[in-house]
Amino acid sequence: MSTAESLPAEAAAGRRLTIAKAMSEAIAQEMERDPAVLVMGEDIGRLGGVFGTTTGLLDRFGPERVRDTPISETAFIGAAVGLAAAGMRPVVELMFVDFFGVCMDAIYNLAAKQAYFSGGQVACPLVLMTSVGGGYGDAGQHSQCLYATFGHLPGLKVVTPSNAYDAKGMMTAAIRDPNPVIFMFHKALQGMGWLGTVPGSIAAVPREAYTVDLGRAAVVREGRDVTLVGLGATTHHGLDAAAELEGEGISAEVIDLRSIAPLDRETVIASVAKTGRLVVADDDYRSCGVAAEVIASVCEDGRAKLAAPPRRVTFPDVPVPFSPALEHPLLPSAAKMAAAARALVGEREPA
Amino acid sequence: MSATILVPDDLWDGDGEGSVSNWFYRDGETVQQGDTVAEVMSEKVTFELTAPVTGRLAIAVPLHGTVHKGDRIGEVG
Amino acid sequence: MPATRNDQRLWMYQTMVKSRAFEAAIKPAYFEGKLPAFNMANGPIPGEMHLSDGQEPCAVGVCVHLQPGDAVTATHRPHHVAIAKGVDLQAMAAEIFGKRAGLSGGRGGHMHLFDAKVNFCCSGIIAEGMGPAVGAALAARLQGRDGVAVSFIGEGAANQGAFHEALNLAAVWKVPAVFVIEDNAWGISVPKRACTAVARNSDRAAAYGMPGVHVEGNDPDAVCTAAGEAIARARAGEGPTLIEVETTRLEGHFMGDAEGYRPKGEVEALKARDPIPAYRRRLEQDGIEAGLLDRLEAEAKGEVDAAFAFARSTPYPAAEEAFAHVYR
Repeated sequence: MSTAESLPAEAAAGRRLTIAKAMSEAIAQEMERDPAVLVMGEDIGRLGGVFGTTTGLLDRFGPERVRDTPISETAFIGAAVGLAAAGMRPVVELMFVDFFGVCMDAIYNLAAKQAYFSGGQVACPLVLMTSVGGGYGDAGQHSQCLYATFGHLPGLKVVTPSNAYDAKGMMTAAIRDPNPVIFMFHKALQGMGWLGTVPGSIAAVPREAYTVDLGRAAVVREGRDVTLVGLGATTHHGLDAAAELEGEGISAEVIDLRSIAPLDRETVIASVAKTGRLVVADDDYRSCGVAAEVIASVCEDGRAKLAAPPRRVTFPDVPVPFSPALEHPLLPSAAKMAAAARALVGEREPA
Repeated sequence: MSATILVPDDLWDGDGEGSVSNWFYRDGETVQQGDTVAEVMSEKVTFELTAPVTGRLAIAVPLHGTVHKGDRIGEVG
Repeated sequence: MPATRNDQRLWMYQTMVKSRAFEAAIKPAYFEGKLPAFNMANGPIPGEMHLSDGQEPCAVGVCVHLQPGDAVTATHRPHHVAIAKGVDLQAMAAEIFGKRAGLSGGRGGHMHLFDAKVNFCCSGIIAEGMGPAVGAALAARLQGRDGVAVSFIGEGAANQGAFHEALNLAAVWKVPAVFVIEDNAWGISVPKRACTAVARNSDRAAAYGMPGVHVEGNDPDAVCTAAGEAIARARAGEGPTLIEVETTRLEGHFMGDAEGYRPKGEVEALKARDPIPAYRRRLEQDGIEAGLLDRLEAEAKGEVDAAFAFARSTPYPAAEEAFAHVYR
């Protein structure tokens, strides 16, 4: 995967969108193209979604296809599974990923296993979009990432875009995919005015519909000395760290995973085969996480010879605390990634 | 020919302040007429501002900068 | 807790004033660092803030009957309930400011306030406080205590699975619990009538084998009467009750909510029926001396001022304190 593939030249010169606008544009275009597509969730109608994911859809497509639901996640996600089995293509919003507890059965026992239990007879073409991420004081039940919780379960595709170009293409691909796709959008990248937005998440987005294949990582910056892997917000930390390291003569390659399941292990292995050093940053809880899976995959594959033990930069195994004095020091950051990279580059090659 | 990106006089009710919540382009980049170039927030509502002409963007009010109705936030020329 | 009806009414009035004063002190503090660019992460109180202005009668009418040993669970909009339950006001304010002297040392914040001394807790996932209330009620019986448990929820929670399961379980186990729905008619941007299959959630109680009581008018005296009966039933071993109170949300769902979905004029009309000045007028009509009410108000506001002064001046926790209390 090269950088060029992830951001075509004509896109670089075009109009720009936030991830929120890119998502709602993708959904609108698919709803236009395919009458089977419908949207449901809490506050996704009149309000256009608390995170701006469904702006304009109610006015354009009406209440039969754009449905504000009661606070009944088990029922409406279960209903989405039934709709998908019957040939509809529901796009459902779970407002905060942290709410998954009340409705996980419909996701991991029904949606994820529908194709398998039916031996392929019945598909589940459902998109579950959900907000992830903290760092702004929303505390332990509204700040989690939970990439690993979902990535761990067979039968789900789990993706997370780091920029608006990928967001539109991945949402379009997700809607067209016959499998259940968990589409995780990070709050710090979304573009909401009431929450700071990482500027790099705003990108040029083609007006026409297009897809970005799910299950493929992207090399977003080429380098030789160390591989920095991120997803969502930590992709941007990686890019910032690489810029800092360049000034010190360290050339860092940055990979945006984009997909937790399927996980593009090949792209990471190919990069580490080149650099020999690996730092993975993941703002989910540390233990049993995506960073651990990436590192394990590189190590057991064997093709990439490591010059130093790999490092992960993650949120620790602590419920996300409210007070900024407690939360902020725990968050992954560009500084932490750069420090890890420096330490790896400074270690001696094995004799 | 250069044109100003203005916060419209009637963009929001009242005389309260707003702020630039997003710039979609960096200083010096080329923008197309009609494209959204910035977002301004006031009283918890977000408004889009578009490029009045095609040309290079010059930013006058940076991200998070305070604005009032009628203020100039940039030029395109 | 106050014994005579008169004492109860004065306590309710003062507690409502205290609660409203607390919310009034939160507002400017919350907006510090957030104007004109409203970034939720900024200022001394980051994150979300869900204020309880207008809903005070629900909290005081119920909590006037409760002892410290009675358990209360509440929601993401908890301040009025916490104050009515007798949560340590200084520690509560400090917790909201994220300080070490806060109820949980800054770990919980505004939506996760815990005070074990008065058996109060709250959390942010809709309806999920109801199951724990059933358990707390059962524990009181198993431990031979004369305790009750009260779960406060919004009307949106009546459509969530945990509501139905908890009510059924409470009735099957005949626990000393009371479930209080604060019906402010809005679940963020969705009105109750657009998402609820029945006009009155109190009617749903029949489906779960318990009495359902509907209280109109956002009236502390009416809530007090209904709650008094329900709590007496519970203490007498007669099982749970569902109470639905028509109340009003005078602010947005959260601070920063533009409320574009709310019909024009609705908030102004509701503010004209603010329950606190209305209750004061009624107390005066019933012969309570204005001077006494003024003193109660001043006392309440003084307590709030002291709590906020403490919250601002007391120190932040050190970073390593984030790792304490993950496990007991």
